[in-house]
Amino acid sequence: MAAETAQNLEALASQAQTMMSVFTKAGYDAVAPSIIQPADVFLDVIGESLRARTYVFSDQDGAELCLRPDITVPTCRLHLERHADPATPARYCYNGPAFRYQPQGATASHPREFRQAGIERFGDKSREVAEAETVAIVLKAIEKVGLKDWTLRLGDLGLFSSVLDAAGVSPNWKKRLDDAFLKPLSFRDALKGFASGARVASPGIPEELLASISRDDREKSEAAVAVYLEENAIELIGTRSLSDITEHLIVIAEDRQEKPLDARAIELIARYVAVSGPATTAGDKIAALLKGAANGAGMALETYDRRLALLSNAGIDLDRVTFSAEFGRTLAYYSGLVFEVNAASLDAKSPVANGGRYDGLMRAAGAAVDVPAVGAAIHSERLLATTVKRAP
Amino acid sequence: MSKLTLAIPSKGRLMEQTTDMFARAGLVVRKVGHVRGYRGEIDGLPEIDVAYVSSGEIAAALKAGSVHLGITGEDLIREGISDAATRIRFLQKLGFGFADVIVAVPACWVDVATVKDLEEIALPFRRLHGRWPRVATKYVNLTRRFFAANGFGDYRIVESAGATEGAPAAGTAELIVDITTTGETLRANGLKILDDGVILRSQANLCASNAAQWTPELEKICDELTAKLSASVPEKSA
Repeated sequence: MAAETAQNLEALASQAQTMMSVFTKAGYDAVAPSIIQPADVFLDVIGESLRARTYVFSDQDGAELCLRPDITVPTCRLHLERHADPATPARYCYNGPAFRYQPQGATASHPREFRQAGIERFGDKSREVAEAETVAIVLKAIEKVGLKDWTLRLGDLGLFSSVLDAAGVSPNWKKRLDDAFLKPLSFRDALKGFASGARVASPGIPEELLASISRDDREKSEAAVAVYLEENAIELIGTRSLSDITEHLIVIAEDRQEKPLDARAIELIARYVAVSGPATTAGDKIAALLKGAANGAGMALETYDRRLALLSNAGIDLDRVTFSAEFGRTLAYYSGLVFEVNAASLDAKSPVANGGRYDGLMRAAGAAVDVPAVGAAIHSERLLATTVKRAP
Repeated sequence: MSKLTLAIPSKGRLMEQTTDMFARAGLVVRKVGHVRGYRGEIDGLPEIDVAYVSSGEIAAALKAGSVHLGITGEDLIREGISDAATRIRFLQKLGFGFADVIVAVPACWVDVATVKDLEEIALPFRRLHGRWPRVATKYVNLTRRFFAANGFGDYRIVESAGATEGAPAAGTAELIVDITTTGETLRANGLKILDDGVILRSQANLCASNAAQWTPELEKICDELTAKLSASVPEKSA
């Protein structure tokens, strides 16, 4: 890795110190979570694909552990250890190593061992304000160590929901599209399916059950499923309850009743997903798209404009900000705003910082409820590469 | 002249069936030296050295090229060797050791009949339980490849060394990937196979290692053995 020379080590340490002092001065509490973490939490959050990118191993007792692939999840765990109430507001900052397996081989911009400096804030009541402040302080830290020519790229996974509302998509299909949005392939299938009309259930799902249940009478529906199981001598086993199973059957039954999604709504969704460009122009594009929407622009545009205004108030030059509706779709745990900071001297696939909102993560780490959470991590080696003067 | 090494299962049902098949082909396999030893030979084929190897390790021996030929289940080959197509030649299906590697879910999941249905419940499941559905299996690689090919990634593997079928009822996993022959054990454990959940229809195979040292002479002996064995394989399996 890049930091193997003493000179580099020193430069990285001094860079980290500068950034940490920006964070601690702003009231962030410096923490140092464990490098070796239980693999469980990461696997539960990210899924099996984690193994492809993380050093997972077993210890002598057979416990599954990993070298932390990021410091966000470890910070969530640390917060839970400190506070009985996970929603207790708190701000943390950290600097330390993280590890990722690089399937294409480790390179300078994608090392297997790298240093992350970052911040996390939990329990903020005003989400948008917390987000704008997070972006602003990350940019401040980056500028302080000498990177001036940054650009900021935004995405918003929550905005998609508002666009679906505006397009007049039924609640059932909205939920499905919302879920599928994170998986571009299923999303395309789902959208195509909705365009052609009602769903055809898998033939293996009992027709008599689908015909006999409805959302209007949940109790009766659940009873019908119970009777079916009993008549067919099927025992209810496993983690999913009768209610879970009935709920999914109802969704399938509802899908079969759905009218095809109208062509205008599909067009609107497809064009929204394609929106990408300077943040201010993207706002105009979204406004133009929503002008013809079935339910009017609704919350979507308001949310978007408010975000830009807050960023601008925090001192961020909006001319350096771009927006991409698709951005964030394939990142595992984000739930709202996503952002990354790029440097002119590095390629776009190697951002110097990224972050966003991940309200569901604390629950995956063990909390009983979702907790508002937003944070960002800075890739120290990349950042250093942008500011170090190369020897002639 | 160097000999051709053939690995055959060292114990259990697969070993018996292998011996039977050789007998049907008119070949007598005999242990050399101590009765509990692990070397053997075939009457009339002195150029072949038989190595008794536990069936789970035959795939590894073929992969490494420490044996020329091996008899083992295709499931174990595909699980143990991710690029089996380049490292292994499947010479002959042998008509025994039938086992399907399958995805099975609780039979009470009347709302789930296909992998696509499974994919659909993963996210609601996570919202309720805070984690992805768990898949108990010893076929970690086959499972990953199959689900990846089906675009399904929202699950998590729990490695299971034995009694995998019991995992859903015990609450240690939501579904399983395992082998089955008649489906009886699955049914007894309240499970059903997904309609598109057959990952592999496996049986015992005679396989050649591409990593082993081959000479024209050894190739000839190999062809001879393959011809003898294929004549004794029931028609429908070949």
